[in-house]
Amino acid sequence: MQFDFIQNLIAALPMENILPLMLFIPVVGAFIAYPLGKRGARVLTLLITGFEMVLAILLMVAIDPSSDTMSYTWRFIMGTVPATDPATNLQILLGVDGISVAMIFLSNLVVFVAAISSNHIHKSEGLYYAFFLLQQTGLLGVFMSLDLISFFIFWELVLIPLFFIIGRWGEEGCEHAAVKFFIYTHLGSAVMLVSFMAIYFFGPGTFEMVALREVGLPVDVQIGFALAVFMGAGVKLPVFPLHNWLPWAHVKAPTPGSVILAGILLKMGGYGFIRLGLWMVPEGFMRLSIPLALLAVFTCIYAAFVALAQTDLKSMVAYTSINHMAWVLLGVAIGAFAFQAGITSDIRAAAALAVQGAVFMMVSHGVIISVMFIMAGLLTYTAGSRQIPDVQGLMAKAPRLSAVLILASFAAFGLPGFSGFIAEALVLFGSVNIYIWSGLIAFGIFVTVGYLLWTLNRIVFSDPDPEKEITEAPWSDLVAPILMMIPVLILGIWPDLILDLVIPVVTSMLGGAP
Amino acid sequence: MMMQFEQITAFIRSILDPFASVLANYIPAEWIASLPALTLVLFAFLSLIVGMRRSPLVVSFIGVILAGLEMILFESSTYGSSFGGLFVRDAFGDFFIWIILIVAFFVLLSSTTFGGDKGAYNFLLLVSFAGAIWVVMATDLVALFVSWELMSTPTYVLAALGPHRGAIDGAMKYFVMGLLSTTLMVFGIALVYGVAGATDLALVASALSAVWATAAPEAYTVLLSLVLFLIAFGFKVGVFPGWMWVPDTYSTADGSVTGYLAGATKKTGISALLRILAVAFVVARLEWMPLIVAVSILTMIVGNALALAQRNIMRMLAYSSIMVMGVLFVGVAVGTQYGVAAAMFSAFAHALIKSGAFILIWAMAIRLGKEITYDDLAGLSKRSPVSAALLAVLIFALAGAPFTAGFWFKWFLIPASAVEVGLWWFALIAVLNSVFALGYYLRVIRYCYFMEPSDDKTFGLARGPLLAVILAVIGTLILGIVPSLVLDYAFSAAALFAVP
Repeated sequence: MQFDFIQNLIAALPMENILPLMLFIPVVGAFIAYPLGKRGARVLTLLITGFEMVLAILLMVAIDPSSDTMSYTWRFIMGTVPATDPATNLQILLGVDGISVAMIFLSNLVVFVAAISSNHIHKSEGLYYAFFLLQQTGLLGVFMSLDLISFFIFWELVLIPLFFIIGRWGEEGCEHAAVKFFIYTHLGSAVMLVSFMAIYFFGPGTFEMVALREVGLPVDVQIGFALAVFMGAGVKLPVFPLHNWLPWAHVKAPTPGSVILAGILLKMGGYGFIRLGLWMVPEGFMRLSIPLALLAVFTCIYAAFVALAQTDLKSMVAYTSINHMAWVLLGVAIGAFAFQAGITSDIRAAAALAVQGAVFMMVSHGVIISVMFIMAGLLTYTAGSRQIPDVQGLMAKAPRLSAVLILASFAAFGLPGFSGFIAEALVLFGSVNIYIWSGLIAFGIFVTVGYLLWTLNRIVFSDPDPEKEITEAPWSDLVAPILMMIPVLILGIWPDLILDLVIPVVTSMLGGAP
Repeated sequence: MMMQFEQITAFIRSILDPFASVLANYIPAEWIASLPALTLVLFAFLSLIVGMRRSPLVVSFIGVILAGLEMILFESSTYGSSFGGLFVRDAFGDFFIWIILIVAFFVLLSSTTFGGDKGAYNFLLLVSFAGAIWVVMATDLVALFVSWELMSTPTYVLAALGPHRGAIDGAMKYFVMGLLSTTLMVFGIALVYGVAGATDLALVASALSAVWATAAPEAYTVLLSLVLFLIAFGFKVGVFPGWMWVPDTYSTADGSVTGYLAGATKKTGISALLRILAVAFVVARLEWMPLIVAVSILTMIVGNALALAQRNIMRMLAYSSIMVMGVLFVGVAVGTQYGVAAAMFSAFAHALIKSGAFILIWAMAIRLGKEITYDDLAGLSKRSPVSAALLAVLIFALAGAPFTAGFWFKWFLIPASAVEVGLWWFALIAVLNSVFALGYYLRVIRYCYFMEPSDDKTFGLARGPLLAVILAVIGTLILGIVPSLVLDYAFSAAALFAVP
């Protein structure tokens, strides 16, 4: 879906390239927002994030997903290392393909909605919105980077503003959660960083992802790199043994912080798996396909059971994220199977389906979980507690809130008609064709349906407790979740909006295997 | 050699050209390379005289700025050696001289609030600056020893001039351990002279390669002297065997002096060690490499573990600078052009960040009238937003946050240099240590930004130190975005030491 006038419009934008423009606007905004303070900062943030979303939509419409090269590449050389031959550029290299554009759209959407739902932040607002905007730059940079160094820079840059947002504006005990979040994710990044160096010196001597992909690295280097990516991206995603930071950070963060964490930060992990893993070192991932798929199935079911045991709604939603992100890992693991020698085109098509499902799952989970986190946050304001046993009879007292919560829960467990269903179906259709046992992940859906319906039963459809006061959420609080439900519904009915961007990229990614 | 700053230096040169040619006519050519150091000695005496009546700080500033101008006016390519080749200006030395001069400027700015009005203080500082400049220029072991003493001796007194009684203890510890290290250094020089029959580094190198070629038993004597040098210079740098004085002296001395010790004298130790290892002992590379790897790992672990246990911010920063020196030694251990350049860039970045941090904490300590602990930092973002923001940038730079100078050396250059020679596990150890260091760096941020203040009174900082810290922060951020400003010089200087 390219339109000439959109491309002309993008060409007419300042800075001659839309990607650095998207990165710079929030940074500049952050420095203006801080002195503005209070209302001014909020209005400015809404304007900027809204404008960024318009830019993302323009980008979606303008990009040609079937082209084999990256679009809108932009390079800024920060320094050179002359000791290597040829001299290494320390650079920020940006560029997008269909998958990145889908993720950029998701980030800008989630950031916009998170900005709207920041209406309960009343402490040092100038500083808050400055960090908020800074973090948008980091998030976008991760999805745009085509160079390992710039990828790592933005990957790390995201953490700093989020660290402040969790630690300063979070709930009781958030300082500890913020530090844990920061150090935990850094440990994974550190391992990944050393593998970046290793791939540079043992490989072709470049940090540019496209060149690294095209050169076809030796298999042992690929496997080592794939394992390191598993450490780095696996912490962010998160996968079973590396998930420990997530419930802490998500529960203690303020609502917009949780929304960003679950809505985009986890997607950085999924995107890392696809961009650095499946796309860059396919051979390495092919050999890890079975263990990764096993781990994904286990993580999904494990997280579903842990979610079942939670009494804090936010904590339950946090485990739901782990549960859903396991589908992304499964999709990636299945997709890697396409690089086996001598497979039929049917199997390759199935693998492609799973990868499409993984990307779609990231987008769909990003929007759905944002609504769930906003609802969990609202529950604190309307019912005075997020503890599931403490809230009763929400339907009778707060019908508007209940309606959105019900819809969001349905979407979260993948009811047909919502976007979650499409994602799970795509991954499942692809994976059972390849590893029949991976169909076990469907057991995770059963448990998910179970605990979400049970939760609804307990807090929404129970009899109201006359001693507890529950007020209806004001419309100003409901704007953000209702706005976010629109893409959930649209994508459930018209998944091609995202899939059109993703399918050509995935096909060429899996078909172009050596 | 000036690459990024070529335009600026050419401009300055073109303006001051007549002045320079007059100077060049009247001063012996043999002296011109040492002119920055000689200028500082001259101004040291001037400030001592002026200091009898009024505050000599202006004189000191003029001295440091003049030294910087002379660095630009007399290029190292034309005026290379002085005093019969004992002191040589080359790209490597110039890099470290600039570190010293920048730190010197910060230290003088910071001295405006405490100590700077006394003649003796200025005299000692300037003499020490001159000694430091000679240390990085020295290419002869004896010359190195003499200038080393010229640099160190004033700092023993300076460390004792701090405001507390504790300063005497700290200085005493520094002095005693300094004497020990000096003794070891002399002993090492004697051993080298016994084997090589020369003290000039280049001559030592050729003599040693003959020893290595014939596998003569003298090699063991040389290795002993190598260990002695490592301990002696490592003492000043604050690495594993000789780190104990660092926290005591840093936390008790006047903060400007601490900034100087951490920012400049440490770096001269690295420069001296690099010259000795990469020039004189280059044939023994395979022997010293494992030794320095071990020193580096132990230093990182010791620095990290003890920094975690501190309550006093000055002490925490002191231990953290021990840890950073461990990281920096990764580059020294690697010893390739990449490694040396990484170590040099780290030295520059660390000098900026650490001197800024020490000066900032010191300025706060003066303003609040007490030693700063974590509890005093609580709610700093409300009490003094500017100092909280500056501290946050510096601490994040130390932690290696992107778009600060710290990112490039902690997360990029140092690990990359280790991976280049195949020591990926060493890179991993360094990187993981940097992650564990977050444990105490983040605590500072946590207190500054997440805690409520115990005392609601707001405060600001004195102008001089504030200006120094702001300059350091700006430098840190600019280096984070365009590291090539310094990196190119580091690489071209490190090319002198390209180890095969």
